Amino acid sequence: MEIWVLFGVFTLLLIIGTPVAFCLGIASLATVLYMQLPPVVVFQQLNSGMNAFAMMAIPFFIYAGDLMMRGGIADRLIRLAAGLVGHLRGGLGQVNVVASTLFGGISGSAIADASAIGGIMIPQMEKRGYAKDYSVNVTVNAAIIALLIPPSHNMIIYSIAAGGTISVADLFTAGVVPGLLLAAALMITAYIVAIRRGYPADPFPGFRMLAYFLVSAVPGILLIFIIFGGVRSGVFTATESSCIAVVYALLVTLFVYREMNWESFVEATLGAVRTTAMVLLVIGTASAFGWLMAFLQVPQATIELMRAVSDNPIVVLLLINVILLVLGTFMDMAPMIIICTPIFLPVIKAFGIDPVHFGVILILNAGIGLNTPPVGSVLFVGCAVGKITIGEAMKTIWPFLGASIAVLLLVTYIPGLSLWLPALFR
Amino acid sequence: MRADLAALSRILAVVNRTALWIAGIGLVLMTIFVAWQVFGRYVLNQSPSWTEPASLLLMSWFILLGSAVGVRDGNHLGFEIALHYAPHGLRQIMLAVTEVLVMIFGGAMAWYGTELAVETWSAAMPGLPIPQGFDYVPLAVGGVLIALFALEKLVRLLLAGEEVPLVRVDEPHLVPVKD
Repeated sequence: MEIWVLFGVFTLLLIIGTPVAFCLGIASLATVLYMQLPPVVVFQQLNSGMNAFAMMAIPFFIYAGDLMMRGGIADRLIRLAAGLVGHLRGGLGQVNVVASTLFGGISGSAIADASAIGGIMIPQMEKRGYAKDYSVNVTVNAAIIALLIPPSHNMIIYSIAAGGTISVADLFTAGVVPGLLLAAALMITAYIVAIRRGYPADPFPGFRMLAYFLVSAVPGILLIFIIFGGVRSGVFTATESSCIAVVYALLVTLFVYREMNWESFVEATLGAVRTTAMVLLVIGTASAFGWLMAFLQVPQATIELMRAVSDNPIVVLLLINVILLVLGTFMDMAPMIIICTPIFLPVIKAFGIDPVHFGVILILNAGIGLNTPPVGSVLFVGCAVGKITIGEAMKTIWPFLGASIAVLLLVTYIPGLSLWLPALFR
Repeated sequence: MRADLAALSRILAVVNRTALWIAGIGLVLMTIFVAWQVFGRYVLNQSPSWTEPASLLLMSWFILLGSAVGVRDGNHLGFEIALHYAPHGLRQIMLAVTEVLVMIFGGAMAWYGTELAVETWSAAMPGLPIPQGFDYVPLAVGGVLIALFALEKLVRLLLAGEEVPLVRVDEPHLVPVKD
């Protein structure tokens, strides 16, 4: 019965349009009252859920992404991408994917990626005769790459949700190959759609210009190596590396590129505060919700249910993926990870699946959910930037969504894609 | 009546703006503290012990102040399709229920946050020369602001028929808000 109060209140509030953070919090509060537990536990869980040193990586990576977007780092990465792949068919679509991969490598937030790259690329693509729906769909799907390419703060959330037992360095490394695979799949899709629609290719700028673009983008790209190298070698913790990313982004945009002024700085800071507060409040209330689910033994019930359905890991993984895809359509990334990790981690462990591998599956899966309405934050941002309705984007998103789901299946059933690279570092 | 409402909204807009700026300063200070921790460890060869609890405390502040700002500006992400297709009267009811519940949640957060702060006030915080209870003050203050902003939206909804947040299906919530 308690469990029905928890899920019932949550679903009801979700339907009437209560923000998800409050759906989770109010459902937890209602359940605690129903069970006659002291209500204060909800707020204790909320506070401890968002108050861990490891959580600080989230505001820092979001902040760094905001600074890089406004301080000229994103522009230079796009220019480099244009030099590299602009001469392929559907050039600007290809540029968009490569730029997202590079920017994802320094910011790690899909929303930052969609607004930074989309903000620059979508108007440019429109000027060159690309339809808006194409530009938006390439942008929002390519933004998901950022979740897999390190640094990804969602990997950190997963590591925390798993009780800190999974190494962030391993998760970061595990995302690299799947991220590149997704980039390749989206480039191929963008190419095929571009041929069908007869989109042009840009001329190759020549190796001299390319070298120039590369040199001017180097300060941004260096950040990938600082963060990845620092975390991988254990010189910095993930939190410290995220803070260094902020300081580095400030130094580069202030003194190397000299494009950061007071207004952009304030805008980036306040923008980061808004985004972070939103993400972390959801994490806090999702922690209270997750604590109640554990208290009500939902994870154990799930294992039994799964065992009743099948004892074949392939079937179980497929089932979990379908559940996650459905949940992902109306849940945002962070609460998905916080709530699903404690439920599914024991399940996949019971079936002998590696937790690092599962982390990559979970994040890619939840990432696809960011592009599916009714709650699809990255799709929303992309549509807002491109000034088209979600309906218009949805009509032609299918090839890109299909490519992402194909990559998800590959990543799910070929563990080596995720686990090969981390094993090399051990 | 309308004039009073407008005056109230102006005051709360200032409160909102102040909370946002304090939160922003918190984020900048947090960056400085953690950067100092790294610098201390590698350059000065001693890790300052106060940076971690101090930056954690700042994070609580800016999350909860920022969340309250998010309530007023309608930034928190939700499922809005049903709101969009509901007939006018039903939509008003749905929005009002949400505001009432958010208000109750904010109120409970303030109440129990205060209780937690009072209970732990006599203990010392590890690493900082302040009472442990400070950890829960952001919860109390953030809760008050959340309840206050939800109340404002409820009043504006009921008296002026203003649907705040405006229901936007094509331009949904998570658009980065520019100041």
